[in-house]
Order: sequence, then C-alpha cells, then structure tokens
Amino acid sequence: MSDTAVIHEHGHVPQPVQHGKPGGILRHTSIVTGLVSGVVLAVIAYLVGGMLMPQGTLDADGIQVGINAQIAATYIAWVVGFMAGIGAFAGPIRWAMGHDLTHDDAEYMAGKGQGKWRYWKYTTDHKVVGFQYLVISMVLLGLGGFLAMLVRTELGATWTEVFDPNFYNSIIGTHGIVMIIAMIIVVTGPLGNFVVPIMIGARDMAFPRLNALSFWLLFAAVPPLVTNLMLGGMRDGWTVYQPLGAQAPVGMIGYQITIITFAFSTGIASVNLITTIVTMRARGMTWNRVPIFVIGIIASSIMGLVWFPMFQYSQVFALSDRVIATSFYIPQMGGSVWLYENLFWLLGHPEVYVIVVPGTAALMELMVVFLRKPLFSYKVAVAGFAGIVGISSVVWVHHMYMTGWAPAAGYPFMLSTELISIPFGFLVMVMLGTIWRGKVWTRLPMMAVFAVLWNKVIGGITGVYLSDVPVDQYMHGSMFVVAHFHFMLMGAGLFAAMGAISYWFPKMTGRMLDERIGSIGFWTAFAGFQLTFGSMFVAGLQGMPRRVLQFDDAFNVSNWLSTIGAYTIGIGMLVFLYAIVTSWRSSVLAAANPWGAKTLEWQTETPVPLENFPVLPVVTSDPYGYGVPDPYDEIEEQLTDEDATVGAR
Amino acid sequence: MSTVDDRPVAEADEPEEPTNRPEASYRLREWLSRPYVRHILIIAAVITLLVVPAAWLVIFFMNMTGAPASSIMSEIEKTMFVFTIVSAPLMAITLAILAYSLLGWGRVSGDEPPMQESPAIRSNPIAITLWIGTTSVLAAFLVVWGVTELATITAYSYGSTPANQQPNATKRIDINVTGQQWLWTFAYPDQNDITAPVLVVPIDTPLYFNVTSLDVVHNFWVVELGIKIDANPGAITNTGVTPNKLGTFNIRCAELCGLHHAYMQTQINVVTQEEFDSWVREMGGSKTV
Repeated sequence: MSDTAVIHEHGHVPQPVQHGKPGGILRHTSIVTGLVSGVVLAVIAYLVGGMLMPQGTLDADGIQVGINAQIAATYIAWVVGFMAGIGAFAGPIRWAMGHDLTHDDAEYMAGKGQGKWRYWKYTTDHKVVGFQYLVISMVLLGLGGFLAMLVRTELGATWTEVFDPNFYNSIIGTHGIVMIIAMIIVVTGPLGNFVVPIMIGARDMAFPRLNALSFWLLFAAVPPLVTNLMLGGMRDGWTVYQPLGAQAPVGMIGYQITIITFAFSTGIASVNLITTIVTMRARGMTWNRVPIFVIGIIASSIMGLVWFPMFQYSQVFALSDRVIATSFYIPQMGGSVWLYENLFWLLGHPEVYVIVVPGTAALMELMVVFLRKPLFSYKVAVAGFAGIVGISSVVWVHHMYMTGWAPAAGYPFMLSTELISIPFGFLVMVMLGTIWRGKVWTRLPMMAVFAVLWNKVIGGITGVYLSDVPVDQYMHGSMFVVAHFHFMLMGAGLFAAMGAISYWFPKMTGRMLDERIGSIGFWTAFAGFQLTFGSMFVAGLQGMPRRVLQFDDAFNVSNWLSTIGAYTIGIGMLVFLYAIVTSWRSSVLAAANPWGAKTLEWQTETPVPLENFPVLPVVTSDPYGYGVPDPYDEIEEQLTDEDATVGAR
Repeated sequence: MSTVDDRPVAEADEPEEPTNRPEASYRLREWLSRPYVRHILIIAAVITLLVVPAAWLVIFFMNMTGAPASSIMSEIEKTMFVFTIVSAPLMAITLAILAYSLLGWGRVSGDEPPMQESPAIRSNPIAITLWIGTTSVLAAFLVVWGVTELATITAYSYGSTPANQQPNATKRIDINVTGQQWLWTFAYPDQNDITAPVLVVPIDTPLYFNVTSLDVVHNFWVVELGIKIDANPGAITNTGVTPNKLGTFNIRCAELCGLHHAYMQTQINVVTQEEFDSWVREMGGSKTV
C-alpha cells in the first residue's frame, strides 16, 4: 500500500503532530498586540506616505496632492496591522508551513482555560463571539445615540446655530452609518452567534475561525469611522452621494474603509451562519422543525451575503476616484452619479430587511413562550421571509424616484414596492394569529411584541404612502421619510432587539434581567420615540427637508417636540442599559430554563458549557408544542355528535 | 394530504372530517357570537372612526404653507387622503387585536412560567386565506391607484395631455433651472434669456423645467406645487407644472448638497399674465407668451 493513503479500520488514526504548546503564536496575541501592531503599521504607512508626497504641490481644489493616498494607506495599514497583530493570519501561515491544527490547538483557540481574557483574544467559541458582538453593538448604539442627541439639540435650538454647519453635516452622516452598522449586527451578531448554534443543536459554528475573523474585522472597521470626525468629517449623510462625497475632506476615506471592511465582515459572518444552519442541525431537525428565529437569521444572512458587495463596490469605486483619479462618478469624464446611487441602493434597501427580519423572527420565537401557544401558521411565516428575501432585491429604485434617472422606472418599482407589503403582511398575520386568544404572561420580552407591532403598523402605513410615486414627489427628501424609516429601523428593529436581548439574557449571562428597571427604561424610550417621530411626521407633511440645520419658523413647534422626545429616548435607553449592566454583574442567578421554553438552547445548562451539549440532542418535533386543545372545537365536536340538531338549523 | 408522502403517517391518521360538519353559515354565525369576536369588531370599528379623521389632519398639515397651488399637488393630496382612509380598517383590526389581547384574553404575571396553557391553534385556513386575500386586494388597489395617478401627474407635468383642456404646445414657458452650491438660477430662454434668482411665472400657464447642476446633486423642490426632481451635474432632467393659484410659494433644495444646504431656498411668485409681462419687460426681456 502506498504511503499517501492508508485505510485504518477501527484502529488509531494518526492525529496531526503538536508543534509546541497548544495555540502556538496565538498564545501571545490578543487585542493588545493587535492595537499595537495596527497603530505601529498605520504610523509607518503615514510617515512613508508623507515622505513620498510632493510637499506643497496643490491640485486644482487647493488640496495637497497625494494626501488622499497617504490617508487611505494609513487606514488600510491599520486594518491589516490590527488583524495581523491579533493573530488572524496565524491559521493560513501554519498551513503554509505544513502544521495542521491539532485538537488541543482548536480547544485553545476556543478559549479553553483562559478565563475572562478569552473575550479579548482571537477566540473561536461562538458564545465568546456572541458576547463580543453584544458589547460592540451596545457601544455603537451608544455612540450613534449620542450623535442623535447632538442632532436634535441643533434642531431644537431653532433660534441659533449650535454647531458649525460642516460639523453638523458630519454628525448627521456619522450618526446614520454608525446606527446602520449597529442595527445590522445587534440581533444577528450577539444572538445569531450565541443562540443559533445551540438552538439547532450544534457544538459550534461551521467555521469557528471565520467567526472570530468576522468579529475582529468589524472591530477593526470602527476606528476609521470614529476618526473621520477628526479628519474633517463625512459631511454627506450616510448615503454619501457623489460627487458631493468627493468634495469632503480626507475624513471621508475613514467612512469608505469602514464600509469596505465591514462588508467583508458581514459576508464572512453570513456565509458562516448559512453553512451552520444548513449543515449542522441536530438529528431530526428537518426544515419544518427549525425554529422560526433560525429561519429569520438565514433569510437575513442571504440578503446580506448577496447585496453587501454592491455597497462595498460603490465605496471601492469612490475611493479609487479619490485616490487614483478614476472617474466612475465624475460626469465630466464619462462617469455617472446615477451609477453610484444604483450601487448604493442595491444594498440600501435589502439592508432595511437585513435589520428588521431577525428582530421580527426573534419576537416570533419568544412570543409563543409567553403566550403558551404554538406559532400560528409556521409555513406562512416562512413564506413571508422567503417573499421578503426575493422581492427585496427588486425594489431599490424606489429610493431614486426623484432622481430623474429613469422616470418610467417608477411604474415597475412602484409595483414591486407595494407587492412587498404582502409577504410583510404575512409576518404581521402570524404574530396576530399567535396572540389570538392567548393569555399573556406580561414579562418584558413579550411586551416588546406589543410595542413593535404598534410601531410596525405606523411604519408600514407611512411606507405605503412613500411607495407611491406621486406622494413621494412631495415626501422624498423630507422629514417624513426620516420619521418613517426610524419607525421601521428603530421602532421595529431596535425595540425588537431589546425584547430579544432581554429574552436570551438569562441564557447568555446566567443571570435574570432586572425587569422592573428594564421596563421603566423600555417604556420611557418608547414614549419618547412616539413623540419624537410622531411630530417629525408633521414636520415632513408641512414640507421640512431633511438634513438641514435651519428652517422656516413654521416647523418650530414640531421640532421642539421632537427634541424633547429625543432626550426622553436618551434617558430611557440609559435606564435600560443600566438594567442590563447591573443585572449582568449582580442579579439573581438564572435557572437553565426560566421561561419554560421548548427550543434546544434552553434545554442545556446555564452557563452553557464549552461545547454546548454533553450529548448531542435528537429532535422529534417542532419546538412549538404548547397549548391545550381549543375548547370551542370540543364544543363543535359535541354538536356534530348530536347530528340532528345542527342540521335542522 | 399528499398520497406520495412516504413519511411516517403521524399526520395522516387524524380523524377524518366528520361528514355532518355544520354548514358554513352556521359556523360563521357561531363564530360571530363568541364574545371576544364581537368585542374585537367593536373596538376595530371605534378605532376606524378615530383614525379616519387623520385623513383630514394630514391634508391640514400639508396645506399649512398654502398648498395646493397646482393640480399635481391636488392629486398628491387626494392620494394621501385615499390611502389614509384605506389603511384605517387594517390598522384598526391590528390594534384591536393587540388591545384585546392585553385587556380581554387575560394576563398572568409572576416569575414562574404560567401553568395554564392557551388554545393550541396552529392554523386556520379560512383566516389565512382571508388575510392574504384582503392584503393582496389592498396592494392591488394601491398599485392601480398609484399607476393611474402617476400617469395623470406625468401628463400634467409634461403636457402630453393638455392641462385645463387647452392646447399648451404654443403657450408654454421653458425655464432652465441651474443649481449650484448653494443657490438656484432661473433662465427664461424664450424671454431673451433673462435670468433671475427668484422664479416669477404667470398663473395657468404650463411651465417646463430643464434642470441641471453645476457641481453636486441638488434637488429642485417646489413645495406647494408638488414637483420635485434632482438637479444632476452632467445631465438635464425635466419636470413641469401648471400653477393654478396666485401667491408666493417655497422652493427648497431637498438633497444634501454641502455646507449651506439648509439655506438653499428661494421663492416662486405666481402672478397674473399682465404682471408677468411687465416683469419680463422690466428684466430686459422682449418676447412673452
């Protein structure tokens, strides 16, 4: 027999040889080495770039020639240096050297025996990654929320300019993109990573090292976004339409590097989630027994995977226009501003569903537990998600009705946009049908269902107005649009995420959430939210354009109310955050299954052990076997037994 | 139930439909006689009655600065009004179920999962069909309405069918609109190419705008006349309107265009034909329409 392939029957299979201690170089890398290496490489890139620059040579706009390339190189060096320093390239390098990973290596990388320090390392355990995502999404939401307070302060002070207009435009854009990134990850990141593998009965994600890669890429993407404010800012809203974006100072490069890096992160995370869900479900978990939350995560991941590259390329082109003088978006040189708008909105609209779908699915998953009822019509829910995934890919032009790009495109895209309300209605029907005749266990996660459905009704109806081209001719670019998408992204997205996080909080942290304080925060934020965006609808109807810092006196009252509401949201969110943080540190310990739920993640112990289950479970039914037979059906059966009486009527 | 299903017959052995099932009309009456159904229908009716006035409220807010000043704006307001009325029942039924869930079907609190389980309703083909049917009909209505209205306002804009039942090809004013950071310039090519920072136009005359930009993307929004189109560098976009109300209305930029975007606004003065003629002469123009 040759040496290259040996068949071992029932015998000992030779394992890869352990070189050195388990983990190898990863024993020495952590966020600290990552930060040091990232900063050092960035400084080197900056200095070398500075030496290569033709100092004092200005281009037509009076800007130092080469500054864009220098800053872009600095940011790219930061990302590459950080990833190298934290050990992201250790795996491929080891393969190149012919060292395969041993079981001990894999366990070390999953964080075995490293205590709390594993949260600061390139750790592959999906539960660690889930926590990392939870913390970074809360940090980003805090930053975005703080910027929102600044925006509302400016708009509430109708008598003066609080901020320099350039800085105001920068905080609008930064608020927008920080919140979009935070909302994309807030459910899929913490819960998709922590809960989904346990929920489907797996020991980890399909690609644990890609899981770590996706998180640390996201981490590396944040500093360029924040530092853009110090380099002149991205003054163009989160959409950064060209050629206005080309006028912005070098801070814009921070935004572009962030988007390019974040798109890699999202793509990797999506591939990982889809593969995990498709291939690693427990025995017996057929597709009609998969929990609906898992369906929502896979739907959202598909949209992210397919459409994020469009956004990424819109920014790659914009960066190359800026750095190497290509002309993708420069009309005088054969470029097109409409090309940018199309690429941007090809992701820009599916992204709304990337945000809303996981939150909605999480609420469906938890509401059955608090209603003690099966999910109403699982199949319609799946059809709803499938319909959204399909139709969301052909609605993007409704953001471009008023661009003059293709006036006739208004007809088909009005059709597709209004059609997507049908699968979205499926989801509302499933939730209403599940609520129907259920006795509500009024805990905080369940109350989020009521809050979100209210917001969805408002957001849905105002969305119907905007899908209509003639109405959009009045509303486009007005505060009405701002209020509408905040109702969908924040009202239906963030409040759902708050409910979902409080539901899985006991499993993730091992402690019960302080619901008394949490509810005070939740409902304060909810009330402030209604005031803020309710009056913003009025400002929009009156004709107030968005992204302005001064406006007619006619809009004063609604803006004052909005600002009061926004501060109320801020207070409520801080109270909710306080509840999360204090409960995490010192609340009562949670039982393994405090809600009496039937999905798999509640059947394993709390805190969840390293490989989730002592023995992998086998699934025999869907997780919705709650409830008792319908008493009315029993009456009907009795009636049909006494056949004559009914027929006679 | 499919006959080629080779799974274990777990679902196939449900009891057969009783042949003496009550007829549909009886079952509907029985369903309607249930207390919670009646209460929800009453709550929904009340909410509908409360929501319908919002249609007038919406129009009130839109008219606060003097709209509508063109038939396009009238059509837009009509659409807003109709959509609000149409949405009201769907909104009402949703909110009624939410309200009744909190008030009618009962609540439990406490730390332990409730012992009492709710009815295990996994599906209801009639309800599903009804919901999907209703929302599909509503969506179809929205599409048909939207397409019709879009064709109507396009006709009002471009004059492919005469507004005010007059042949408008001869009696039309072309205006070249140029956006730049951060002001608007209006040129009247047929009036000896006079230019002005404020738009002055005669009432009841079709206007046709050629819109472009010198630098970045702006958006030409004549608020009370209900027209809006991007001003793009390197391209000319078109829109049009026939003002039907005298007065001064707002023109705003509706696309973020940099530092002083907020201040990029001006006015449109809709005046009588005589006033317009004298304005044109004053500005040095010769030919008027």
